[in-house]
Amino acid sequence: MKQIYDDHADIRTKAAIRVVSLFFVGLIIIAATTSPIATGTKAGERAPPLEGKFYNGTGGWTDFNLENYWDPTWEEGDVSGQWVVIDFMDTDCPYCIRSAEDVSINSGDFDGSNPQWDGAIVNFIASATELDINGHDSSRAEIAAFRDKTADSGQSCGGSDCGNRAGSAHNFPYIDDIDQENMKEWKVGGTPSYYLIQPDGIIAWSSSENPGEDLRDAILALVPRESAQQGGA
Amino acid sequence: MDPNLQLMLYVIPTVVGLLLVLPIGRALASPFEQMLPSLVGERSRIFSGLIVTTVAGFAVSIQTLWISSKVSEGGNFCASNSVFSCDDVIGNSAYNTDPIFGLPWGGIGAVVFCVLLYFAYSSSVEPNASWVGSYLNLGTAMTFGGFFVIGLLVFYELEMEKICQYCTTAHVANVAAFIGFYRLRKMNDSGEWNIEG
Repeated sequence: MKQIYDDHADIRTKAAIRVVSLFFVGLIIIAATTSPIATGTKAGERAPPLEGKFYNGTGGWTDFNLENYWDPTWEEGDVSGQWVVIDFMDTDCPYCIRSAEDVSINSGDFDGSNPQWDGAIVNFIASATELDINGHDSSRAEIAAFRDKTADSGQSCGGSDCGNRAGSAHNFPYIDDIDQENMKEWKVGGTPSYYLIQPDGIIAWSSSENPGEDLRDAILALVPRESAQQGGA
Repeated sequence: MDPNLQLMLYVIPTVVGLLLVLPIGRALASPFEQMLPSLVGERSRIFSGLIVTTVAGFAVSIQTLWISSKVSEGGNFCASNSVFSCDDVIGNSAYNTDPIFGLPWGGIGAVVFCVLLYFAYSSSVEPNASWVGSYLNLGTAMTFGGFFVIGLLVFYELEMEKICQYCTTAHVANVAAFIGFYRLRKMNDSGEWNIEG
């Protein structure tokens, strides 16, 4: 008589095949019904958490959570969604002090207060750290003086009075990241580093991935504008 | 389907499995013994409870893995402003993976419950095989180790001030599996292993 299978085979093989099959069925269900997005700081990844105390010019230091900015229902091309630029900086870093002028111009141009900009609002957020470099001693008072461009505050930014930094006073939130917690979470290699993030929390552009490319050019290229949509219709 | 209603798909078998592996399982199972012969006898009843529990633990682990994938897409499944909000727990990238390899907790749970199911299922089919004792020891050790992981995950929940109902169901399944493996191990070591009824 032809033997189709071995009745006396070790039950362990049969049990293993059944259990492994069950495991793969579970994985197939997940693979077929979801499209997970990794959390990270590269373009296309979901922005990691950014939390801490922030200063916005008034009311002292209060809780900040980047999650509050995200709109999971946002769809590509939707001009009503608000984008976010995160500027990882150090108030004692010479390049951050010089580029503060560009940041002032960009935030003023794209934050919704400029009538000539018909694109989505771009909210600027600075995460101020203290790099492990000699002479880079920061404090909340120094961060506030840098943000507000307060003259004769007694705070030194890169060896000069914080009121002498380039550009105008900033009107966006500054997060206290003196302990570098956010900087490490975002794996920021140096300051300043910029991240342009879509309204749904997905990173659209980062300066570390696009060396030599300007943040302003990235905003103009990636953030949707009403005029562009009407022109294309 | 409402996520809390869907949770019942896992809670009910987990609780049934837990009751079957407990000493009170005999009294609770006696009305069903004619319909379900596998509930006759202490050993086979504990094996039945163990298999039900490990399958439920595997299923709820796969569900948490699915939730973490959905949350990463930007969607939500069981987000709530109350303390019971599994999206906030499973979607928190600071806590939702193990600190050593970065693997999602749901995936680890699914693998562990599959291994436990394998131990329970193969031992139940061939209870007098020479390897059964080793499998029961391994199952007991793995589920005991699970208590440390549960402790860590509960600590995370306390830090977040949120409770993940789905994760808690998987934790209960681990506790039930530990009781089952421990009791079977004790029976196997004693002379009660082949006494039926």
